[in-house]
Amino acid sequence: MNSLVKLLKEQYQSIYLIQRLALFQLKIDNRNNYLGLVWEVMNPAIQMAMYWFVFGLGLRGNQDVDGVPFVFWMLAGISMWFFMNQGILDGTKSIHQKFNMVAKMNFPLSTLPSYVITGKLYGHLALLGIVMVAFWISGYHPTIYYIQLIYFIGLSYSFAFAITLLTSTLAVVVRDVQMIIQSLLRIMFFLSPILWLPDRLPETMQKFMKFNPFYYLSNGYRAALLYNDWYIIDHWKMTLYNLGLLTFILMLGASAHYKFRDRFSDFI
Amino acid sequence: MKEAVVIKNVTKKYRMYRSKKEQITDLLIPGKAGKNFNAIEDISLTAYQGDVIGFVGINGSGKSTLSNIIGGIVPPTTGEIEKNGEVHVIAINAGLNNELTGIENIEFKGLLMGFSREKIKEVTPEIIKFSELGDFIYQPVKKYSSGMKSKLGFAISVTADPDILVIDEALSVGDQTFTNKSLDKMNEFKEEGKTIFFVSHNLGQVKSFCKKVAWIEGGRLKKFGPTEEVMSEYEDFISHYKSLSKEKQEAFRNELAERRQKSE
Repeated sequence: MNSLVKLLKEQYQSIYLIQRLALFQLKIDNRNNYLGLVWEVMNPAIQMAMYWFVFGLGLRGNQDVDGVPFVFWMLAGISMWFFMNQGILDGTKSIHQKFNMVAKMNFPLSTLPSYVITGKLYGHLALLGIVMVAFWISGYHPTIYYIQLIYFIGLSYSFAFAITLLTSTLAVVVRDVQMIIQSLLRIMFFLSPILWLPDRLPETMQKFMKFNPFYYLSNGYRAALLYNDWYIIDHWKMTLYNLGLLTFILMLGASAHYKFRDRFSDFI
Repeated sequence: MKEAVVIKNVTKKYRMYRSKKEQITDLLIPGKAGKNFNAIEDISLTAYQGDVIGFVGINGSGKSTLSNIIGGIVPPTTGEIEKNGEVHVIAINAGLNNELTGIENIEFKGLLMGFSREKIKEVTPEIIKFSELGDFIYQPVKKYSSGMKSKLGFAISVTADPDILVIDEALSVGDQTFTNKSLDKMNEFKEEGKTIFFVSHNLGQVKSFCKKVAWIEGGRLKKFGPTEEVMSEYEDFISHYKSLSKEKQEAFRNELAERRQKSE
């Protein structure tokens, strides 16, 4: 609990630092490409088109999902996924990759994962903006339900941060953690209703899938952008469960981070 | 006089492994594999406010480990270190990014060093002037020569205003004129009454700059006292060491290394 308070304080005091470093990170990553930042959006766009082709056209015959075209249903969920996936992967590497950069300064190390994830958040917001424009053109106009997006984007960010706080610490001690996380994320991707609907699975299995936070997050994005219902309230049990899970991971991550922080230099 | 840094019986042990397998074994069953190596051993030392202390010793003696412990970069294995004031390590090459331009790097490294937005704005013109880079400041750092890069890093580093400074081999940067400029900057810090720890192999610099010297040999504090006293003895040792044959020099180093692995 103590470390959680310390962590939140450290994050709060470093907001300016985090957002500036996130912008620098985007600059550094894209300086050598002629199209620069365009790639931050272009790469996921190409991947989305392929997923739609295979899972939408190929496997589903472009059939609607509760009255919403499959491609829209998929886009809303998968834009969240690209953000989480990239954020968690790069965030996990953040400490052992960037430790030497900041080693000789009194740098608040817990902001390494958060600035990496914030950089990804900017890309996510740009992509989400484009997706929204596409929805508006097709007749899915902004509604009051959009305000749920703030919650779901915030929750995605917090989950990504809580998870990487733990994994980045573990990855310093045992480098293999990075590989494990990569595999786990791939498993989670296909076990979440991002590209496909679990409605043909047995009842118990469907229930079991709801323990996966990506289930809640992807459907939350969809509810806000497309289905116009109050997902947070209608599925209040899942809301409580996910908030509880987030707090638990965050506490675990915070205590691991502070426990090992002083000894990072011994492992790197 | 007020104490600035008090080092009490500080030891830093490293675990050394010959292979990945040893490392994993040791992680799972502590003490089962690998060897201890004492980078520094039972060092006690008190620095008073305004002290300028030089660390001397041959390569691998533990000077950098000790300065890293003072800088808070490395935690001691046992012992205590008490610091009254903010410590800053002058790390010239840390925190510079090759993809960014000089001017972007000023903000980037400034952020990493914990500067606020206002402070960065305030010191940027000073840094540009001090670094002597001219129009190169708008070029990406990857196009710089190593001397130019170090100048930029040094110029950014010295804008910090801490109570306690750790300088590890930072003054061998750039050409002679820049070295003189850096030395002037260091003397400015000295006159302001900052506590300074200075690590260098340049004995001339140590003699002219430091008030006290700590001689470290094989991880132990061999002698600590006023500059003239310690340096004359250290210089005798160095000339004696140089006069030894290569085999004897090696034997001397091995003896020290063995002691550092054995002692518990």
